[in-house]
Amino acid sequence: MQALPLRRVVITGMGAISPLGVGAAALWQGLREGRSAIGPLRHPDAERLRVKVAAQVPVSFDPAANLDERILPTLDRTSEFALHAAREAVAQSGLEFANHGLGLRTAVVVGTGVGGETTQDEQSRRLYGENAQRAHPLTIVRLMTNASASQISIAYGLRGPTFAVASACASANHAIIQAAQMIRCGMADAAVTGGTEACLTYGALRAWEAMRVLADDTCRPFSANRRGLVLGEGAAIFVLESLEHARSRGATILAELAGSGMTADASDIVMPSAEGAANAMRQALDDAGLAPQDVDYINAHGTGTQANDVTETKAIRLAFGEHANRLAVSSTKSMHGHALGASGALELVAAIGALREGVVPPTANLDRVDPACDLDYVPNVAREMPVRAVLSNSFAFGGLNAVLALRRAL
Amino acid sequence: MNATTQQQVFEIIAKQAKTDVANVKPDSTLKDLGIASLEAIELIFDIEEHFNINFPDQQGADFDRDTAQSLVDAVDKALADKAGAGEGAA
Repeated sequence: MQALPLRRVVITGMGAISPLGVGAAALWQGLREGRSAIGPLRHPDAERLRVKVAAQVPVSFDPAANLDERILPTLDRTSEFALHAAREAVAQSGLEFANHGLGLRTAVVVGTGVGGETTQDEQSRRLYGENAQRAHPLTIVRLMTNASASQISIAYGLRGPTFAVASACASANHAIIQAAQMIRCGMADAAVTGGTEACLTYGALRAWEAMRVLADDTCRPFSANRRGLVLGEGAAIFVLESLEHARSRGATILAELAGSGMTADASDIVMPSAEGAANAMRQALDDAGLAPQDVDYINAHGTGTQANDVTETKAIRLAFGEHANRLAVSSTKSMHGHALGASGALELVAAIGALREGVVPPTANLDRVDPACDLDYVPNVAREMPVRAVLSNSFAFGGLNAVLALRRAL
Repeated sequence: MNATTQQQVFEIIAKQAKTDVANVKPDSTLKDLGIASLEAIELIFDIEEHFNINFPDQQGADFDRDTAQSLVDAVDKALADKAGAGEGAA
């Protein structure tokens, strides 16, 4: 299968803005403590909405902190999150993009499910609700789906391949895979990649209500009393490099992005297929050169809907066979919510934390066993255990599956 | 009154199932009528719009077992709740 001498890809920086706070450390710390950031929905229209709970970035997040005030008016909330997360990731990596033409050899790929939804909603309200005659002149530059990727490129002088990836709830994983592939095949030496989402607008919340997949209490993945997903928001951004590039400058390697798998169910627009998800996991293992028994932990997609959790359990059994009984599987969406196009990126912070510290974050709110969900979901309390390799699953409406395989830093 | 609700609901179901209203029986399940999950959500939306009511959220509703009559009963209950609450629009 693996004939080409592909380069190995490592992660040397990470940053996050999440419901658990500002910074990747705040996110990871919250997850390992089993702390859920799900709470009552904060929204000007909360009274009118049926959605009662969400996982929102705390009000203490200051978008203007450390950002050039001239660019602030050009930013949708998605780009604010992405720029802050990118700043943290780039600082941790220690990369100097102005040196040795590295900027031209660096790609930027950012996943987002819907892009500048807040901007879209504000302008629609003006035009249709208030009969305004004109839209704000920066509407387009704020709402375009590639805005976050472009803003990161501009902020750091990154001149390599730069674009957005959209695949609903799998956007971040698809984006990270694209970035890794470019490094692997030599098209870039480094990449800034991840996912961002901020779509808790009145219009989007109404649309989610109508789909009848939202929980009214909290997110309880794999629990018999689960009532659906809880929407979230945030961003996580990573710096990827080829292994030789990272080694040549003595960088601290957080984890190896060892492989990936991407498949489509080609069946139903919303109902997931176990076979499609299992194939993506099998591909990720093959691509990373991992046997099923090399994997200790799976960060599950684990949305807390009836359909996902049963289907994902079946898919893990299909892909891992007997070893499924020895895997730790958890859904951190029980704590950071479902940040849609950013969720795979937030979950990569969890995967990296597990590899680095030998601690598997728990599935919070799992208090009733569902016979149809019969794996070890690490209920409610984190577990210290050796973690050699991890899969991180993202599955999207539209039947799209993207799985990352990670190995502990060498 | 009940017959009217039933008639209206059955017509909405028949439209979604692309079948003649005569084929919709009180004990027909949505599955019998070939209505899959996403279509069932659309059906619920059509019924809510038609009667100007809100069904309670029913994540994990069982579309294999829910019958045409159970939807009629749910509409009657929602209409009664609405009348009882003296609720106008909203």
